[in-house]
Amino acid sequence: MTDTAVKIPEREIDPATGDTSIANYTINFGPQHPAAHGVLRLVTELDGEIIERIDPHVGLLHRGTEKLIEYKTYTQALPYFDRFDYCSPLAMEHSYVLAVEKLLDLEVPLRGQYLRVLFAELTRICNHMLNLGSHVMDVGAMTPNLWMFEIREDCLNFFERASGARMHSNYYRVGGVRQDVPVKLLNDIAEWLDTRLPQLFGDAISLVAENRIFKQRNVDIATVSREDAIKWGFSGPMIRAAGIPWDIRRAQPYDVYDRVDFEIPVGTRGDCYDRFMVRVEEVYQSARIIKQCIQDMPEGPVLTLDRKVGAPKRGEMKQSMEALIHHFKLFTEGYHVPAGEVYVATESPKGEFGVYLVSDGTNKPYRCKVRPTAFSHLQAMDFMSKGHMLADITAILGAMDIVFGECDR
Amino acid sequence: MKAPAPRYAANDGVIDAAKAALGDLLVEAKDAVGEVSLTVVREKLCDAMLALRDTPGLEYQQLSEIAGVDYPERAERFDVVYQLLSFTRNHRIRVRVTTDEEKPVPSVTGIWPVAGWLERETYDMYGVLFEGNDDLRRILTDYGFQGHPLRKDFPMTGYVEVRYSEEAKRVVYEPVSLAQDFRSFDFMSPWEGAKYVLPGDEKAPAAPVPTPPVKDAKTSENTAQTGAGQPHPGNQPGEKPKDADVPAPKGEGQK
Repeated sequence: MTDTAVKIPEREIDPATGDTSIANYTINFGPQHPAAHGVLRLVTELDGEIIERIDPHVGLLHRGTEKLIEYKTYTQALPYFDRFDYCSPLAMEHSYVLAVEKLLDLEVPLRGQYLRVLFAELTRICNHMLNLGSHVMDVGAMTPNLWMFEIREDCLNFFERASGARMHSNYYRVGGVRQDVPVKLLNDIAEWLDTRLPQLFGDAISLVAENRIFKQRNVDIATVSREDAIKWGFSGPMIRAAGIPWDIRRAQPYDVYDRVDFEIPVGTRGDCYDRFMVRVEEVYQSARIIKQCIQDMPEGPVLTLDRKVGAPKRGEMKQSMEALIHHFKLFTEGYHVPAGEVYVATESPKGEFGVYLVSDGTNKPYRCKVRPTAFSHLQAMDFMSKGHMLADITAILGAMDIVFGECDR
Repeated sequence: MKAPAPRYAANDGVIDAAKAALGDLLVEAKDAVGEVSLTVVREKLCDAMLALRDTPGLEYQQLSEIAGVDYPERAERFDVVYQLLSFTRNHRIRVRVTTDEEKPVPSVTGIWPVAGWLERETYDMYGVLFEGNDDLRRILTDYGFQGHPLRKDFPMTGYVEVRYSEEAKRVVYEPVSLAQDFRSFDFMSPWEGAKYVLPGDEKAPAAPVPTPPVKDAKTSENTAQTGAGQPHPGNQPGEKPKDADVPAPKGEGQK
């Protein structure tokens, strides 16, 4: 910004400058900003209020998890996955256990697979509640966020009843899940899906979905074409909002996703509003999947009975020397995974969450590369927000659904 | 495959199609653990990627991921691994090039702009250089960080740590000092190919000394030497005393 009164003679000298000389200026958005959804620093170049260029600086939450995992056995590495995307911890674990199972070529009991799908979908609801709620709050509404946090709280309580922890559940295991759930929990989830979830969620969404202010803030903001979505490596709700019906759960089914029935919502315009509404519909579809899981789940073991991988129960250890030895070996040395490499990607609530695992045949991963969903989405921030207003940054970020535990690792 | 991992289209014929499309750009192709990996010539990486993207029957439209892997014992110590995804064929493939600290890898940002940050991350973590990436800054590590932390020879504890200094009123960097040494336990079974000397084994002689043959082995040549045929061999059933506390009288045979 220049003081025009002083600059008048200079302007007359320089014919290249127009009537007023306004320089672009650069502001820092974040790293500590409530709408940055974590520690994100956006170096934003503005022309007045119009965004010219955005350079996201990430890595402020880098904890070197991939390095840490190389020093841990396969079992010890699992809890780190809860800490990647701490809003949907079980979806992160899902990719990892599937990757190790693929290397081991390990069969998983059907009930274990159903439980994993059930809790992955409950995680999706939990994650979308946080994202949708914070998105509407970023663009100015308060109430839906509070109502959706009620649902999120219910989900966390369900996780606690299954695993003992509200957020960092550490519930999935290579070969199934840690322990079976009580029948009462399944009943309560089913009842919750029929009563509380549709009521609270429906109310919350009815406040914003057709709301004029909400639409003005989101419709036609940051439209992404199909070609751009593919080129920039989009996945999950981001690519579906761009109109590509791509869902790994459907295209490359893992666990029992090929046994459940669900639909894939897609957007038509590829803007922030579409991304929002795709997530809204995904919540209902997740609820559908959970209901089917509860209905179809067979009785039986939840963890593989291969004692070289799955830990024995404590009661069994009191009776059997063999079980005691297996327990000791599993929790000191762990199990050895055959040498090889796999890339396993699952449909996490935010998109394609992949684990590239290289094993050298020992009890520790040689390399464990995590493919975060946020990396490709945040990278596209620059071209998506070009030409939009400064205030649209929050809407664009909110519709991207970024969590820095996963982005920075 | 018994594991419930994501099931995509079968790998049948993919290697043949890739061989036909890539020709001598291809160094190695293998199908292991249900996944196809191709190793291509580093200098021609972009040509190979374009062929994989545009050849009908391959059609890998999206670049999912770039990962570095470090094998310090190799001459070209780094693998740079690209994961490609085909939406139309519902298939994944892995493309790999090898490099070292100096030889640059051609950047694929011209084909997939998403590669920009992925290459930056590989550069940050491993120090692999990408030729043609015009924004090869560090991305995840701190401003002014030195070293490439995911290399196998980079210590896990790092070299510097930060703390808030009350005197300087700012965050200061200091050499890392651990209250307790970093401990990495080796739980590998010593019976299954341990590469170190087990504690106590260093006392043992290098090669086991064979047992010397016994020169005067004890042999029995007649019954007199064994005590057999004696009139009172002892310990006869009738001789057992009534009182259990009194030891049985020893006969001649037990002298």
